[in-house]
Formats: sequence, C-alpha cells, structure tokens
Amino acid sequence: MTAPTAERTLTLNEVGPAKRASRPDEVVVAVSPAFADPFTKTIVDVPHAEVIRQILAGIEEQGVHARMIKVWDTADLAAVAHTGARLSGSGISIGLLSRGTAMIHQRDLPRLSNLELFPQSPLLDAEVFRRIGSNAAQYAKGESPAPVPTRNDQMARPRWQAKAALLHLKEFECIVAGRKPVEVEPVITRA
Amino acid sequence: MTRRLVVGVDIGNSTTEASVAAVSGDSAEYLGTALTHTTGVKGTPENTDGAVSAVRRALERAGRTESEVETVLLNEATPVISGLAMETISETIITESTMIGHNPATPGGEGLGVGTTVAIDALAGASGPTIAVVGAGWDFDDVATELNAATERGLEVVAAVLAHDDAVLVVNRLRVPIPVVDEVGAVEKVPLGMRAAVEVAPPGRTIRTLSDSYGLASVFELDPDQTKQVSPVARALTGNRSAVVVRTPSGDVTDRRIPVGTLTLTGAGKTLQVDVDAGAEAIMEVLGRVQPLDDATGEAGTHVGGMLAQVRDTMTDVTGQPAAEIRIRDVLAVDTFVPKEVRGGLAGEVAPENAVALAAMVRTSRSRMQVVADEVAAALGCRAEIGGVEGEMAVRGALTTPGTAVPIAVLDLGGGSTDAALLDRDGVSSAVHVAGAGELVTKLIGSELALDDREQAEAVKRYPLAKVESFFHVRHEDGTVQFFPEPLPSHVFARVVTMTPEGPAPVATRHSVDHVRRVRREAKRKVFAVNAVRALKQVAPGGSLRMLDFVVLLGGSALDFEIPDLIADALAGFGVVCGIGNVHGSEGPRNAVATGLVDAHVAGS
Repeated sequence: MTAPTAERTLTLNEVGPAKRASRPDEVVVAVSPAFADPFTKTIVDVPHAEVIRQILAGIEEQGVHARMIKVWDTADLAAVAHTGARLSGSGISIGLLSRGTAMIHQRDLPRLSNLELFPQSPLLDAEVFRRIGSNAAQYAKGESPAPVPTRNDQMARPRWQAKAALLHLKEFECIVAGRKPVEVEPVITRA
Repeated sequence: MTRRLVVGVDIGNSTTEASVAAVSGDSAEYLGTALTHTTGVKGTPENTDGAVSAVRRALERAGRTESEVETVLLNEATPVISGLAMETISETIITESTMIGHNPATPGGEGLGVGTTVAIDALAGASGPTIAVVGAGWDFDDVATELNAATERGLEVVAAVLAHDDAVLVVNRLRVPIPVVDEVGAVEKVPLGMRAAVEVAPPGRTIRTLSDSYGLASVFELDPDQTKQVSPVARALTGNRSAVVVRTPSGDVTDRRIPVGTLTLTGAGKTLQVDVDAGAEAIMEVLGRVQPLDDATGEAGTHVGGMLAQVRDTMTDVTGQPAAEIRIRDVLAVDTFVPKEVRGGLAGEVAPENAVALAAMVRTSRSRMQVVADEVAAALGCRAEIGGVEGEMAVRGALTTPGTAVPIAVLDLGGGSTDAALLDRDGVSSAVHVAGAGELVTKLIGSELALDDREQAEAVKRYPLAKVESFFHVRHEDGTVQFFPEPLPSHVFARVVTMTPEGPAPVATRHSVDHVRRVRREAKRKVFAVNAVRALKQVAPGGSLRMLDFVVLLGGSALDFEIPDLIADALAGFGVVCGIGNVHGSEGPRNAVATGLVDAHVAGS
C-alpha cells in the first residue's frame, strides 16, 4: 500500500479580535506573528499547513473543538502559549513558533511554566504535532495523557542554532508592538 | 530510692525501636523513644549498629547521657527471612489474526458492519458488503476521499479498520458514517477476502453483538459446533467498546494454562504436591492439609523453586546453618493478575493474565542475640541483657493499651511476615510467624497496575489517592474536594496522585482513581486480612477465633490508614474486639516490645 500525498497550503484569515471563550471543550492553538505568512514551513521544512493540519486532527480525533489565534506583539513561545491559554475555554492551549517549537500551556500556570514543552524544533515532525494536539485535547477533557516522548539530539544545538537564531530574528521583525491577538480561521487548500 | 535508667530495645525485621525509662522500685517512668532501620537481618550480630544508634537517639530525646544508663534490654529475636515470587499461569493466544479486541480510546462511528475484508487500494474491484482495511502511511483525508469515492460508485462500504489513530477524523469526513476501529498496529496481518464484522458501541457503552456467542453465530451463520468454538472469542471481547472479528478457517482464541512447576509441601507426616498453576486456592487448601508445615520445596528450574532456594541460601549465609537443615515454615499464595500483551494480537491488545504470588518464610531456632548484647554492652559501656522473647514481650506491651485484658492476642503486621502471639489466662504465651506482609502488598499493587517503579507502588500502598483536577484543587478518592492557595506543580496536573506528606506524587497509570483504589484495597485484604485470620487461628485455643476476646494490632502496618479497618472487618464475625495498640495509652502501636521488656524487667527485679 502506498499513501497518496498532496501539497497543501495554509492561509490564516483574520476574523476579528481574539476573545475569551467559555466553552470547556476547546483547545486554543496560538501561533507567533510570522506563522503561515511570511514563513510557510518549520526549521526542518515541515510545511505549516501540515503542522496545523496534524495538530487540528489530533484535537478533532479526541472529539474536542479547536480555535486558532495569532499573537502579534511577541515572539516568545511562553508568552504566545500563555496568551492562548488565558483565552481558551478549557484553559488549555498549544503555542507554536514559526520554526516549529511548541508548548502545551494552561492558564493557571505561571507564564514561564508549561504542561509540556517541545524545545528542539528540528526534531518535531508531523507525527509529533499530531500527538501534541491529541494530548492538549485530552488535558482539556480532564484525562491524564502520557506526555509526548520528547526526543533529544545532542547535535541539534550545534547543527541548527545558527539557523534558529536567524529565523528568530526574522520572526522578531514581524512583531507588531501593541497589536492585540486576533482570531484566525485556518484554510488549508490542496495544490 | 534511686532511679535507674533502663532502655528496652526491640529489633524487628525492618525497624529497631528503643524506649528509655527511669525505674525506681516497681514503677517505670517512660522518658523517650526512638526508631531506626534495622541493620542486617534480625537476630544477627549486624543488628548492633542499629540498636546502638536507636538507644543513643532515644537518650538524646529524653535529655539523658549514655553514662547514666544502667541496663539495656534486648529481645530474643530469631531471624525471619521471607521471599517473594510471582508466576504468570495463563496466556491468551490469537491464531490466524481472528480477532482485534483492543480498546482504542477513540473509535469512530457506531453500529455493526458485516462484510468482506478488502485493502483500501483494491476497493475498485470489490463488490458486495465491504470492510476497508487501511494500512500504515495513509493520511486520514485520503482515506475519507477514497471511501467516499467508493460509496459514490455504489460499493457498499460497511466498516473500516485503520492502522493509525484516525477513526474519528475519517468518520467526520464521510458522507455515510460507518463504524471504524483504529490504532491496529499490525493491520497488514488482517486476512483479506475474508468475512468479518466490525462493531463500535456508543460512548459509555460496550459492544453487544460480537461479545455474545449467539451474536457471533448470527453474524457468521455458524452451526452449533462452530458456535462452541467461537465462544472464547466472544468472552475475550466482553467489556470492549469496539472490536473486529475475522472468520478464518481455523482461527481461534485460546486461553492456555502455563505449567510453572510444582510445590512440594511436607508436614503432619504427609508429603503432598500441588501444581502452582492450580492457583492460590488449591495451594492454600493443600497447605491446610499438611499443617503444621515442616518444609516446602519447589521444582528445580522453576521460579518457585528458585525463590525457595534463595530464601534458604540467605538463611544459610545469615546463620551459618547448612542449607539442608533450613526449613520453610510457611507459605502464602495469593491470586493476582498481570497485564500482558496478547500473543498473536494485531493491535498490542493487553489481557489481564492470571498469576500466583507466593511468599515464603523461614525461621531458625538459632539466635545470636547474645553476641549482639555483648557488642551493645561494649559500645555503650553498660550492662546489656536479653530481657525476654519477642512474642511475650509484645503481648506484655500491648496489654498496657487502655481497655484490654487477658486473654489477649497481638498481631504484629510487619514488612516480611505477620506475627501473632497469645497470652492466656494462665499466663502462658505462644507465638507464630506467617509468611506475607507489607512487601507482598507492594508487589501485588506494582504488578496489577503495571508500575515499573517500586517506589510508586509503595506510595500507592501507603497514602490515599486523589485526582488533580486543576492547579488549585484535587478530588480525593472519597469524592471530597480540597483547594490549595498555591498552584500545584505542573507535573501532577490532570494525574492520579498519591497524597504523600511531601505533597501529591503522580502515579504512572491510565487507570482511574477508583480502579487504583480497588487494586490497593484488594491487595491489602488478600494479604493482611487473610493472614490475620490464618495467624490467629494458629495461636487461638482449639484454633477457634471465638475463644479470643481482645486482638491488638501492632507494627508499622498498624499505622496504615486502612489495614486496621480491613482486619477489623475480617474479624468482626468472630465477636472479637480488634483495634490498634496504644502502648501505655500514648505510644501508639509502636514500641510494644521495647516497653514490654522494661515492664518485665521491673516486675522481675
């Protein structure tokens, strides 16, 4: 059996200011300023369309609702994720940087803490993003998921640090100081 | 009248306790107590270090110095060594990939679909009711597109089996919803072109058709003989929310007994053999026929044989007695289960397999306490003597519990063995040791919950459970909610935890609080409640528990939050007053022996 593959593109359509919701069955996916535009893939070329598709799939498979927001005034992962968590009806959020670094956050936690952190962006692939979505949804349901196994590669730092720094600088340039987070609707189209 | 300082020291299996008293005439005033770990095996010269440090700590608490001590009293303790072994005695084997009985957390759709298994890329050539089999590497969007296209062409797709965790995703994208079972890791082994059935129950329900023998017979049009054959399949699927059954020519699910060797028990002039895989009940029944037990041996080359040999070896090392002279004096068998992966399963199905846990105990009459006494005397510069036999001293200490009277029985709930002693109206005392105590409970909890970490199993045994529901509150196992002013650490969020004195500690399990609690209580009941009755019967006059009036619980496990209740429940039917010892009305269940030693000394002098 072979799997048919397809190229997909992701557009984030702004639908208005991000509001705090009260439905307890939602997970907020909060992305950084450069996510999907101008960046389109992570540090190891996983398309943003695939990242979002897998995260949303992981959440949907658990029967939980997902909502996406874009944070404009910071590119700090903890701040992005915590902003999402405070807006989330369940209090659970997934924070994402354009280069792929991810985090599961909860609104009652201190901003610099987290439920699960995936710090080595070069090691995150589609499967890991699916499991991040799945775990976040399980936290929202009050279940006790086993944490997603974090991979560790001693060589990731020396190999990727320079590229990560450049990507961070570029992302930093996309920050719009003072702009409030906006709710976005992800549109994934097949090429 | 001069006041003399006397210290009673009780060397137990796991702890050494010391109690300092100022004695004048025939009265003793208790000044302080201390507790340390026992060094070495009880009743051996290695105990000296622990005994000396316990005495020093007790003196420190009492505000006295070593030079004031006149006499240190030790108990006559005989070494008791216990061993544990666990044997899995059943296994489930699926042949010809007949059945997928795992329970994915999120199956898709609901209902029953019966058809022929066809690979998803061969749907074009299929006809009639079809069950699509989707291998690894297929994306959920593509699967949904393929299935929708097939339905559009007029093919009757009635169900699907997926390799990945995609069932809800696929069903959400289908025009006609069908039952879908996912997370079938070895989906490539599903036989194609065979008649099969897929059933998914609504959330919170379990399947009704495939878990029923006649349900299977109806689905697969079986005759009575074939129905007999498939009944194990139905039984194996009971309680699942989803299942797949494939009908193959000789596919089967068997529940096989694993021969794990025999146990030979000698006693009362008889030698009897029992197969360990017969289960705990059969073993204990045979054990009852050879009481009092003289010796037990296991078949060479089996775990049980190895365990019993090791207990013997340890005792040889400790006492210097030849192995041939050492006798296993008691055995406790407990039925348990171990979650094991099913052989031949396609989705990593786990079945609870039966297992037997065995605890064995050996004691000798050769005590070397005089050596310990001499060494303690040398270390502390005072007199040290053996003040009495452990069991008698324990009864004596227990008798100081308010509300007790002779005849009195004590139950010392330890780590390796459960000990009982009786003092009757004539002042005659008797004592027994039986195998199985706290260590066995920890082992049962660890294996039934599949905890890799012994510390976690120990924590589950010792502390009540709770579920961390938010960073600011937990729900305890009895349903009460407790709030915290400070947020709890993030590693315990949403987890089942044990409420230790250091705060909540996570338990690595997917089971609910209720399940973990049931396992914990059942393990304690199977060991302590059973052993309490067993041990007391051996000391009770005529073996009748009704002849006992007062039973006092002593030892570390008497401080447990539920073991005393479980034992009291077990003894309630015999009209026995049972409770936790409170030595001198203030010391609790600890220090009974140390206190008894001092009291005996005072009475004797």
